[in-house]
Amino acid sequence: MKLRQSPGLASAAAPPPASARGLFLETVLVALIGLIFGFSANKLSPRGLVLNRDYFPPPPKAAAGADFSALAPARQMAAELKAQGLRAIDLSQARQLFNLARLSNHAVIFLDARGEREYAAGHIPLAWEFDPYQPEKFFPLVLPVCQAAKQIVVYCHGGDCDDSVSAARLLRDVGVPNAKLLIFTGGMAEWTAHGLPVETGGHPGGAVRPAEK
Amino acid sequence: MKANPFIPAGTVAEMITVLGRWTLGAVFIYTGWHKALAPVDFLKLLRGYDLPPVPWVLNSIAGVLPWFEMLCGLLLLSGVAVRGTALILELLLVSFTWLVLRRAWVLSSALNLPFCAVKFDCGCGTGAVWVCRKLVENILLMLLAGGLLTGRGRRFCLRFGLVSAKD
Repeated sequence: MKLRQSPGLASAAAPPPASARGLFLETVLVALIGLIFGFSANKLSPRGLVLNRDYFPPPPKAAAGADFSALAPARQMAAELKAQGLRAIDLSQARQLFNLARLSNHAVIFLDARGEREYAAGHIPLAWEFDPYQPEKFFPLVLPVCQAAKQIVVYCHGGDCDDSVSAARLLRDVGVPNAKLLIFTGGMAEWTAHGLPVETGGHPGGAVRPAEK
Repeated sequence: MKANPFIPAGTVAEMITVLGRWTLGAVFIYTGWHKALAPVDFLKLLRGYDLPPVPWVLNSIAGVLPWFEMLCGLLLLSGVAVRGTALILELLLVSFTWLVLRRAWVLSSALNLPFCAVKFDCGCGTGAVWVCRKLVENILLMLLAGGLLTGRGRRFCLRFGLVSAKD
């Protein structure tokens, strides 16, 4: 039995020979269009990156001869922060300040230096969102609160996360005094590991999940 | 095995390539979208790859690449400039695979783990992955892109060749 093939199927069965020049031109064209599209989309996106910004500036150099490597990790981090003029606090201090923050009217505030999604998924109740990678987005809201506060606790994930330190340095650069800034080094990981209350959604007005007894 | 007389020769291969084109396009749209939603997270992960520590280089990769990938995915799904797009994705996949391989090797040595026991977020848009699984996935995607370079997968295309409709 002989089948009649449609032209489309005939071409499918035997693709025409490829032209290397045509392929090269097409590749260059797609690459160019893709780059123009990519740069434009990044520029227009509210989450886009500022291309010439250094998102990870090196920390200020510690005093000459300072070597913290012999210390235990927690003390090492505290010593490194102290060398930058910042103060580390542990979980018990963070809890005390959290209790004060609940009572005081913005005298003690918490700043969450993680990303938007992590903040929305769960943060320390009453903490303000402050992503150090998009400071211009948060400064208008957060800076007046920071200037009015007496103590500011900054935290991120915990562990080797240094976004809380970046956030504190940014605040210091815009005039928030060093003495106000405290880094909760255990971060959200230690907070949730101890079953402490967590607020989801935005601030103010998020839903609070109470501490697990 | 005898060929089915009701299916013209080459049709099955053609349809498999079309499905491959759609799969490759969908994968790049999905991973590109995830990275575009959180470019700062992608930027942080890029720091682990020992790329030149020049801010605008890293920022350009993290800010532009997700959208570039999405465009390539859309071109493949709609069937526009298929071979040129497939060649670009092939080159990207080879580069990504090399970077992931190198990073996994470093982690494997540093943590004293068997190579396939290494799991990390490679910044590929799918979260933390086992390295061997990621490498197999990349090889499969490279095969799909390679299949499109042969000139098959022309059905359901808006414009297979952008420069010349015959290409």
